Amino acid sequence: MKLPADVQKSLEKQVPKVLKRDFESTFKNKFEELKNEMIKEFLTHPVTIEIKDGPSASNISGTLGGATNLFAFIGFNEGDDPITPILEILQNTKYRRTKENKGAQEFTVDLPQIKEIFSAAPMPWASGRSWAQGIEVGISGIGYLLRKNSSNSRSGAAIQSRTKVRGGKFQNVPYISAIIRKYEKKFSKLK
Amino acid sequence: MIEQFQHKLTNSFMLWFDNYLLTKGQAFTNTTGNFYNYTDTRIGSSYKAYGSPYKQWVADSSIAGANIPNGVYVDGSFSGRNDGVILDFDNGRALLETNSSSLSVTGSFAVKDFNIYYSNETEEDLIVENKYMVNSRIPSISQSYIDPYDQAVPAIFLSLASMDNRGFALGGLQETSVRGNAVVLAENPYQLDGVLSIFADSKDEAFNAIPMTGNPFNEYYDLKDGTYSYTDLKNQYSDGKPFYINDSTTSKLTDKARKSLANDLYVGFIDFDIQQHRYRHQ
Repeated sequence: MKLPADVQKSLEKQVPKVLKRDFESTFKNKFEELKNEMIKEFLTHPVTIEIKDGPSASNISGTLGGATNLFAFIGFNEGDDPITPILEILQNTKYRRTKENKGAQEFTVDLPQIKEIFSAAPMPWASGRSWAQGIEVGISGIGYLLRKNSSNSRSGAAIQSRTKVRGGKFQNVPYISAIIRKYEKKFSKLK
Repeated sequence: MIEQFQHKLTNSFMLWFDNYLLTKGQAFTNTTGNFYNYTDTRIGSSYKAYGSPYKQWVADSSIAGANIPNGVYVDGSFSGRNDGVILDFDNGRALLETNSSSLSVTGSFAVKDFNIYYSNETEEDLIVENKYMVNSRIPSISQSYIDPYDQAVPAIFLSLASMDNRGFALGGLQETSVRGNAVVLAENPYQLDGVLSIFADSKDEAFNAIPMTGNPFNEYYDLKDGTYSYTDLKNQYSDGKPFYINDSTTSKLTDKARKSLANDLYVGFIDFDIQQHRYRHQ
């Protein structure tokens, strides 16, 4: 049965409006689910947990062979919260509609740039360097040594004495870049 | 062991870094002055060491305006390599084939604003111990020679850290990334800012792969061929597979951190991401 032309025309006008709401609602749910999964992966990463646990944490990330913990090794001060700025950036992940044509819609997810996250995670002793990047490529023991100096040496003359920073090498582990790349792929497959 | 990728990169990186700093920053000073005799048991008994007050002279003749020495004046007469003079560009001295320790030796040369060293030490070891002699580039009234071999500041310590390969194209082409670091120890903030600024802008620069055999220095740190131009040397090795600086970030040790080290030096860091596309085992 063929619909009358005016009915068909009216349907063509109304259907995209109805579907638009459904499409967006479905996409939004899937997007939020994936975003929460990404944030959960960041928050449950051993490096994040270890740093969040502060100066008394144990080296659950295995990056330091158990010698000390990342919070102390990087050189944060007690009370510092290096995780929240990264979390806020991840929470700021959004999507936007970029195409719409006869009921079909396309969304673009604006994932944070890896560099943006690194910039939000500066070393406490050298602002141009990122501790989050250091986790992936290696961190020197300067921060640990500076903390030791400030707590052990009132005179500040510790420069003359050799303080052994660590027994072994810092073990790099995949962190922010790996998470972002993984979710780039996952978000691109959202339908 | 035959030369490997990392060896070639180290050699190429050192030569490029030196040339880039001297060219972009004109980071040298032409100097004329006396040389002072001292005993060095490491050199042959037929030589006497006459040292200038500064380490690391500029050897690269492609640096415009730099005075590259070919010899020294001994009791007023010029003596060059043909007269048995060895110029030690690293230790800033001339080795003379003589028994006399009381010659009047003078010379002209360009001294680098920063000594450049390759280092395997950790960053904390480099900056924390007060182990460097300061070889200030500001002339003092009571001048003498500078001790050879020991590292002196202001200086830049280069090192190559991690390296990894990632598949880049079908057929086995790899993207090799090497992380290079430079620790800058400067006498003042002006010097430090200058170096950091120059190398922050080195992103996307490319430099040719020069094998160890292309290194211009001999065992005395004199020039193998009596002359060296980085520009000419790199042109000899333009095989179309250069290294390039994929990324370069700079940072400074905060003043608070610097003070807790009770250190008079200004410390900066340059982190390079150096890449080359290549087939492994080539």
